[in-house]
Amino acid sequence: MTYKLGISRLDELIGDIKSGTNIMMIGPPISGKDDITNIIAYQGLLDANAAVIVSTREPGNNVLEWFERYNLDVPMDRIGIVDCVTRTLGFGAPDTDNIKMASSPVDLTGIGVKISQFFEHFWMEMHLRETRLCINSLSTILMYSNLQTVFRFLHVFTGRIKAANALGIYVIEEGMHDERTIVTLKQLFDGMIEIREGEEGYQMRAVGFTPKPTPWFDYEIDGANIVLRG
Amino acid sequence: MMETGIPKLDDYLHGGVPMGKTLVYYAYPGVEGTVFGMQSLCHAMSNGVSGVYVASSTEPHRIREQFNEFGWDAEEYGDQFAIIDAFSGLIGADSHERYVVADPEDTRSLTQCIKNAMEDLREPGVIVFESLSTVMDLCGESETLDAIEEWNQYAMLYDHAMIYNFTAWPYSDDTLLSIKEDVCDSTISVGGIAGEVIFGQYFGVLKANWTDVIRKCVLFKVLKPGGVRAYIPKILVTGPFDAGKSTFVHALSTRAVSVDRLGTTIALDHGHVDHKGFAADIFGTPGQARFDPIIKLISGEAMGVFLVLDSTRAEDFARGRQMLEITRSFGLPVVIIANKQDCDGTLTLEDIRGKLDMPENMVIMPAVATTGEGVFEAFETLIDMVMEVG
Ligand SMILES: Nc1nc2c(ncn2[C@@H]2O[C@H](COP(=O)(O)OP(=O)(O)OP(=O)(O)O)[C@@H](O)[C@H]2O)c(=O)[nH]1
Ligand SMILES: [Mg+2]
Repeated sequence: MTYKLGISRLDELIGDIKSGTNIMMIGPPISGKDDITNIIAYQGLLDANAAVIVSTREPGNNVLEWFERYNLDVPMDRIGIVDCVTRTLGFGAPDTDNIKMASSPVDLTGIGVKISQFFEHFWMEMHLRETRLCINSLSTILMYSNLQTVFRFLHVFTGRIKAANALGIYVIEEGMHDERTIVTLKQLFDGMIEIREGEEGYQMRAVGFTPKPTPWFDYEIDGANIVLRG
Repeated sequence: MMETGIPKLDDYLHGGVPMGKTLVYYAYPGVEGTVFGMQSLCHAMSNGVSGVYVASSTEPHRIREQFNEFGWDAEEYGDQFAIIDAFSGLIGADSHERYVVADPEDTRSLTQCIKNAMEDLREPGVIVFESLSTVMDLCGESETLDAIEEWNQYAMLYDHAMIYNFTAWPYSDDTLLSIKEDVCDSTISVGGIAGEVIFGQYFGVLKANWTDVIRKCVLFKVLKPGGVRAYIPKILVTGPFDAGKSTFVHALSTRAVSVDRLGTTIALDHGHVDHKGFAADIFGTPGQARFDPIIKLISGEAMGVFLVLDSTRAEDFARGRQMLEITRSFGLPVVIIANKQDCDGTLTLEDIRGKLDMPENMVIMPAVATTGEGVFEAFETLIDMVMEVG
């Protein structure tokens, strides 16, 4: 069991990603991290994986709409979204098959329960053995809870990713946190996707999968595709 | 004594939690633990006990909605119910609750509200913490442990019961141990059956210092509405052709499906039962001998068995006994259903027992599956037997 990101040049360079891998994605605001996260989830759906997306900045419906917007023919029965936003906006929306509502980004206990429920459902009822978990983003969670609390939460869930032979992607906003936060959290991850601002737009590279980091690539996001150059 | 309202738990605690005592629901991350405290609170209030809920990770208004989703209406209790709002202060929101914690990151601020609430209760009541772990996250581990001691002493003084929901995130070993073993009079472990993912959830009493506890684990499910239900993943319904198995499954179930053709079951019946705090999934087999391979296939891993017999057809009883063999049911709790008691020519239970050629102590109960008569009595009996074994 291995995984691919769905970002072709990077996938070629880093090879298959082992099951049970936890990856931190870090980059500046508006560098397209939401799109990249969704694209990684989408690649999973294409590979017959299940995808669980924890959305802390956008209502769950918006995430589903992203897939619709690009006419991506996604199998709805393999997507689960933990929506940490809708309830905080004061909407009493009930859970649906695809979207489970957490009370707020503070409620890590509740978020943990919803993630576990999706994992159980995909494993037990759908008999899917490969699942991707995308948490977008840890930065919001860190706004509401202190580092130690978030670390404990991640310690548990990165462990669950390993146990379930899944793939975990955790998004962090560059520049929002002090160095200590980043260094502390890094311990939990097996690899990173780093994003930075280059001369002509944004660049990305993968760190920790190969003895040396991959080169930096300029990239452009075209709908549900990431085009790397260089 | 205050009942917890959690099915089976009050039996295991010999009645519930005495006033002035403290209990912690010690839940593993990812398992639905929060509902336990909520259910105990609402159950107590429905028995006339006043309740206070300490909200630390959810907005009070959302908490009332959560209660409603489970089918419990907090408003109904009027003055009997209050929230200590230890959440709004965190996000800088206004609060209209009776008790508002000015600084949720300081246990002293919380302690002040708890004391006020305890003093205001005119009679012994119950204080339930939505999430002790959130308090710990915000205020620190040792500060929270100290505060718990103070709250518990206050509770004892006023004869209030204290109930904490706690999620066992990886805090320091000392902290976890003291929550699990020291700080409360009783600890209920709420765990998950973990493999690659969490497959199922269970609870059991770890300790209760006022009584000899019964140390059994109960699988549970959380239903909305409904709350925590003791859960039996598989009960088998088997028996001879045309005895009324499918009808029996449907009579018990809130929803059920059958794979039938021309009135006879060719694959299976499957139904969900939700009755008096118990939930179960029940599976009915076909009855005809030509389906014996299928019957074998669907009968594994059952925790209890109903053998449905048509009380007018003694000639089929041998087939019934044979089906217990096919389904490997001997050794499991079995309740024999003497069905079709409304028909002419039914045998009495004693006659049936005589003709069955089975151990004397087999439980036989009368039923009319078409009207539902006797089916829930039989269900309760089998559940008791299953729980006894478990
Ligand atoms: N009078 C009466 N009829 C019943 C009772 N229970 C079931 N029946 C009838 O008996 C017939 C058979 O019922 P089913 O529930 O299909 O029996 P079954 O055991 O599932 O049958 P197979 O799956 O074919 O083995 C139906 O016509 C039912 O309506 C009962 O308690 N009293
Ligand atoms: Mg049938």
